[in-house]
Amino acid sequence: MGNAENKFDDMPEWLSKSENYIPLSDKDTFVNKSILSVFKVLSRIKKQDSAGGARSQINVSLHVFCTFVLILLVSLTRSFIFVLIVNVWLLSVLSMTDTIRLVKILKMSMGVTLFTAVVMLPAFISGNTYSSITITTKVFATITAMGLLSHSTEWSTLTRALKRFYIPDIFIFILDITIKYIYMLGEFSLNMFYALKLRSVGKNRSKYSSMAGIAGTVFLQSKEMAEDMYHAMECRGFTGEYHINDKSKFKWRDYRSIGITAGFFILFIYFGRM
Amino acid sequence: MIELNDICFSYSEMIALDHINLSIKTGEAIALMGANGCGKSTLLKLINGIISPDSGSYRFHGEEVTHKKLQDVKFSKLLHQRIGFVFQNSDTQLFCSSVYEEVAFGPRQMGLTESEVESRVNDCLTLLGIQEFSNRIPYHLSGGEKRKVAIACVMSLNPEVLVLDEPMNGLDPKTQRWLVDFLKKLNKAGKTLITSTHNLELVHEISRRAILFDESHTIVADMMTEELLKDAELLKRVNLVDTSYHYQL
Repeated sequence: MGNAENKFDDMPEWLSKSENYIPLSDKDTFVNKSILSVFKVLSRIKKQDSAGGARSQINVSLHVFCTFVLILLVSLTRSFIFVLIVNVWLLSVLSMTDTIRLVKILKMSMGVTLFTAVVMLPAFISGNTYSSITITTKVFATITAMGLLSHSTEWSTLTRALKRFYIPDIFIFILDITIKYIYMLGEFSLNMFYALKLRSVGKNRSKYSSMAGIAGTVFLQSKEMAEDMYHAMECRGFTGEYHINDKSKFKWRDYRSIGITAGFFILFIYFGRM
Repeated sequence: MIELNDICFSYSEMIALDHINLSIKTGEAIALMGANGCGKSTLLKLINGIISPDSGSYRFHGEEVTHKKLQDVKFSKLLHQRIGFVFQNSDTQLFCSSVYEEVAFGPRQMGLTESEVESRVNDCLTLLGIQEFSNRIPYHLSGGEKRKVAIACVMSLNPEVLVLDEPMNGLDPKTQRWLVDFLKKLNKAGKTLITSTHNLELVHEISRRAILFDESHTIVADMMTEELLKDAELLKRVNLVDTSYHYQL
């Protein structure tokens, strides 16, 4: 240990003096914005992990199935009243979720609906009033139904539910791994941005080359992680088959969902005949 | 030097720091200890101005560090120069094309002339024993070498406070010993050290005072490191050790 201490006896003089430094002003907007955007994505994924609420207590496979059927019925119907009934139902479900989720789903639905309304505007003006309003409300129903599904169900269980619909294993696997690595590499790049911010103590004249450095390191990191995972998969005997161990049983809520979907199907046929 | 009064911080709804009170004097060597996820890394981020508290006050040299002040570029840059942060994962800290460029990144921004930068970089590389890596790409170095480069990057800014997040993680015993000796020397040279660590064998060498967190994200002990290491019951209570733990110097 004595020898080890001697190695540092020649500590440079500047290191034991305090730095008399006044920083120059510099714009850090690019780094700050990058930090914020990566942080937003990570928070979104993290929140998905703890997705709860009343709807998520429904069997996920059934939830996906009911949403799919509802969207299919909304797409096929020519009845404006049917679309309105679906919208009323979706809004009443939405009103039972917490405020933050409600605002997020509504923002998304309203945004897409508004865009559709703008696209449909020429048709509306030229006289196709009924069709353009029906299509716009159909879009609202579809996006709201998807929003309710994605905001109340964890992504991992969603991908697991896909297996029940005979979606190819490779597709589910890629989807699962993608979500996982977006999070891991996101955390890694967030820390790199923090490091860049902490080390940018003055005027950084090569901001973009630093950003390129970060992008390069994240790429190399992802390559390394992919190789490690490939080796780990080989060691664990992965054959490309994706097993799920779903022991969830049907509860009364699930039967209620089946009943509601069946009800919508009857309404679809009833309004289809009118 | 560093005053934290009644600091609270949470990530969305998850509490990370709960009513933290801590005072650190210039030249102290402090260890932050506690089980995984107890809030050590969050506290280090707060001290470095990466995040700002939800409530409570943080003062550095008597001046309050607030979210609003951290938006002031000059203020935040000066804070980052005075408090150096060595990340747990060295890979996240290295983004330049060579070790030399990496260490020169900070001093160049401080307005030093190129000859001063060169001299400072060479001093740092020599001090950390990594002169031969000067032209190497940081990403291709080993874990211990990367850690040395990361420390050199921070040292080249000549900070008053050195904050290290789990610096012993992933290092072989020889490099751990080297790092302990290096940190002791830095502390002797007047640098304030704040280190978060799980390494109970070496913690008494890199710190005189230890702050212990429990799993409810509060500080449960603030005492001499050796005293804390002797208190097996307390360490067990915060889930840092199990029943097989015995203190040995």
